[in-house]
Amino acid sequence: MLFMDSVGQSKRVAELDVTWNLRVLDYIGNSTGIRSALRAIVAVLLAFLVTSIPIILSGKSPLAAYGSLLNGAFGSVDHIAFALNKSTPYILIAAGVALCFRAGIINIGGEGQVAVGALATSWVALNAIGPPFLVMILALAGGVAAGAAWAGLAAAIRLTRGVHEVLSTLLLNFVGVLVVSAALNGPMGEPGSGFPQSPIFDDRLSLPKLLAGSDLHVGLVIALLVAVMAQILLWRTRFGFALRMLGGSRPAADYAGVSFTAGVMAVMLLSGGLAGMAGAIEVLGVHYRLIEGFSQGFGFTAVAVALLGAADPLAVIPAALFFGFLQAGALAMQREVGVPSSLVFVIQGLSVVFALCAMGLDRRGSRI
Amino acid sequence: MEAPDVGRALLEMHGIVKNYGAVRANRGIDLIVGHRRVVGLLGENGSGKSTLMKVLFGMIRPDSGHVIFQGKTLLGHNTGDHTPRRAMAAGIGMVHQHFTLVDAMTVTENIVLGWDRAGKVLKPAVIASQIEEASRAYGLAVNPGDVIAKLSFGQRQRIEIVKAILRGSKLLILDEPTSNLSPPEVAGLLAIVRRLRDQGHSVVFISHKLSEVMEICDEVVVLRDGAVAGHVEIANATRESLARMMVERDLEGPLQRKHHTPGAALLTVEGLSGQQLHDISFTVRAGEILAVAGVDGNGQRELLDGLAGVTPIQAGRIRLNGVDITRMNVRQRLAAGLAYIPVDRASTSLVPGFTIADNLAMRDIHQPSLAFGPFLNSKAIREMARKRMAEFDIRASSPDVPASSLSGGNQQKIVLAREIGRQPKMLLAFQPTWGLDPGVARFVLDQILQLRDSGSAILYVSAELEEVLTLGDQIAVMSRGRLSGPVPRETVNVTQIGMLMAGAA
Repeated sequence: MLFMDSVGQSKRVAELDVTWNLRVLDYIGNSTGIRSALRAIVAVLLAFLVTSIPIILSGKSPLAAYGSLLNGAFGSVDHIAFALNKSTPYILIAAGVALCFRAGIINIGGEGQVAVGALATSWVALNAIGPPFLVMILALAGGVAAGAAWAGLAAAIRLTRGVHEVLSTLLLNFVGVLVVSAALNGPMGEPGSGFPQSPIFDDRLSLPKLLAGSDLHVGLVIALLVAVMAQILLWRTRFGFALRMLGGSRPAADYAGVSFTAGVMAVMLLSGGLAGMAGAIEVLGVHYRLIEGFSQGFGFTAVAVALLGAADPLAVIPAALFFGFLQAGALAMQREVGVPSSLVFVIQGLSVVFALCAMGLDRRGSRI
Repeated sequence: MEAPDVGRALLEMHGIVKNYGAVRANRGIDLIVGHRRVVGLLGENGSGKSTLMKVLFGMIRPDSGHVIFQGKTLLGHNTGDHTPRRAMAAGIGMVHQHFTLVDAMTVTENIVLGWDRAGKVLKPAVIASQIEEASRAYGLAVNPGDVIAKLSFGQRQRIEIVKAILRGSKLLILDEPTSNLSPPEVAGLLAIVRRLRDQGHSVVFISHKLSEVMEICDEVVVLRDGAVAGHVEIANATRESLARMMVERDLEGPLQRKHHTPGAALLTVEGLSGQQLHDISFTVRAGEILAVAGVDGNGQRELLDGLAGVTPIQAGRIRLNGVDITRMNVRQRLAAGLAYIPVDRASTSLVPGFTIADNLAMRDIHQPSLAFGPFLNSKAIREMARKRMAEFDIRASSPDVPASSLSGGNQQKIVLAREIGRQPKMLLAFQPTWGLDPGVARFVLDQILQLRDSGSAILYVSAELEEVLTLGDQIAVMSRGRLSGPVPRETVNVTQIGMLMAGAA
């Protein structure tokens, strides 16, 4: 050990430290506005093109399928409202995941954070007594706090026990989802319904509607505001600078006096809080009760949304809308043309893969 | 030993050209290595040495040129891809500056790793005896059972050499082999190179240290700006002639040192202990440079990181300008007037993906002048960046360019601008000229001397003894986590410093 070269040694330590989370940042790190938007659009078009192949093979016309997909997504005010509501949780969760990516942290615990957030919100909604508006706010806040706590738990495991956050967030998903099941099959279940769901909330607790006569609720506005605020936080504040420094280089962050522990904890609490808020908005704005399995993989899909949006909180908005509208149109496509709606997930997946490939290519091109 | 093909050199490289975009790394280089010859390849950073050797070893493909080894064309018009695997099979071995050994494995295991002729079923005992045999024949003192992690830098280098020999290398390329060795280890290595030649091998010895090249080589090829600047038998060469060939430009005048009149004690360290540090005490006074020599990895990084507050120390007291900063964190120490230039530009002193402006601001982002409360003052940050870029001659089109796109010299100027631009009371600098070309290195040293003349104190740590001796007002040596000295430059005894560096005194 006496004559080790310190330069080589520090490099080696850095390499061990970053493992693959910095790789994610390497892909998305230097992307700038227009270029990455173009890349994402090309990736989406390619995904549609490739998905045409299985549609043709099944004897259907891709044009007809995509036509009914479009119609299902945009065909009427109701359709659009439905799609916007679907996009809302993606915007919220993905904005948080994007912040984590920027700090070099991979939070794939959205699913559990959403579930626990929704559980806390439902508990407040069912038990709190007071003016309905205040109870609603309190329920939302409860969701945010629970989601943040769940993510904070994962962060604490990472920071004190050195368990990689991919594992700690992933595994806590299962715990979170099962805690919700346990509650619904036990104390919080609706007596006699025979289905794992809570009793319906007082209807005065529902989120206000944006558009009279439609299902569109204010959650969308909240989500858009949150994304804009996340963007400002990341690029215009000292806190965001510290996060980006953690993601850019851990030794540099140490050298600049940025605390890794505080940074990781803060960004995980933020991200978990946003996921919890998504859960709260789902139960207060869409279902008006807690239902087992309501989240349908929001937490995981949001990671894909964040990647398609190049870990940029603002770019997450179009990416989330794309996913929301795609899923909204999927059922129409299945009903009208007979193409399975699951192909929509193929399109989603391929879009992200192509987008990441394009970023990789871009990166290779920029190297000399 | 078979008679060498008389009249045909062991290695012939002709007309090697390699361009990286606008950078012409190799501009038609010829290199001939005869049998049983040690050929020095001399040149500054960026002169094309590494590129040429990577071409030879099949790591990069040249734009044109051909390579003939033992009469066989390895790289030419109709040959396929020249790869490291093919180079090794042909009998070319390379010992890289950064070793390619697995720390957790034994010597034997490392040598077997990736070796086709070790066979499908491994016979560790057979390999081990081969290693011992080679070790005896070449005076390497390698023990096949040792785990790599426990070996010193010099020992690891020998294992790389054994590896190359056992794989049947006729030609060994040693890339800057002495850069991390202490003086006795260097002597040991040179003895090994002689044994290699005696046993019929040829060696390409890459270096920029004239004295070693003069001592060990039979002939020297000097590269400058990607072309051969000279090729001489060592008997006809002098240090001066080689140096001129290497640089061949108007050498700037020697460093100007004003007479120093040290002021009051600025940094006082008492009984500092920690990981790799044992009871270190010293004082640096205002207007003075304390230069610390020592082989890398003897606690220098731990000392500087501990002083800067990046890593915790276990015991001791640090006072800056009379204020006890022992318990302060990085930011508080910065505010107290302590600047730090770490050695690792790739990921510590710079965030490569950040813009120049962000890199210039990264340690001062909490300053009121660069922020509005919790928000960044982007305008002020860019204005400061423009100012620093002009002051320190950072060449880039705008402050919004990512630091990763700049040359090493310009990157180091960012670090210098940030740390010196703040006009610190005390500057900690760890090999700030590492990997820089002479022009920029000179710029760095001038800036540091200027800071000293303005009355700041400087702790300058470097493995380059020459730099330490030119720069230091006080000179100390670090070895095995202990600091010996410091002594005033007038009373320095170079031999003793060499001994101290080697841990022999």
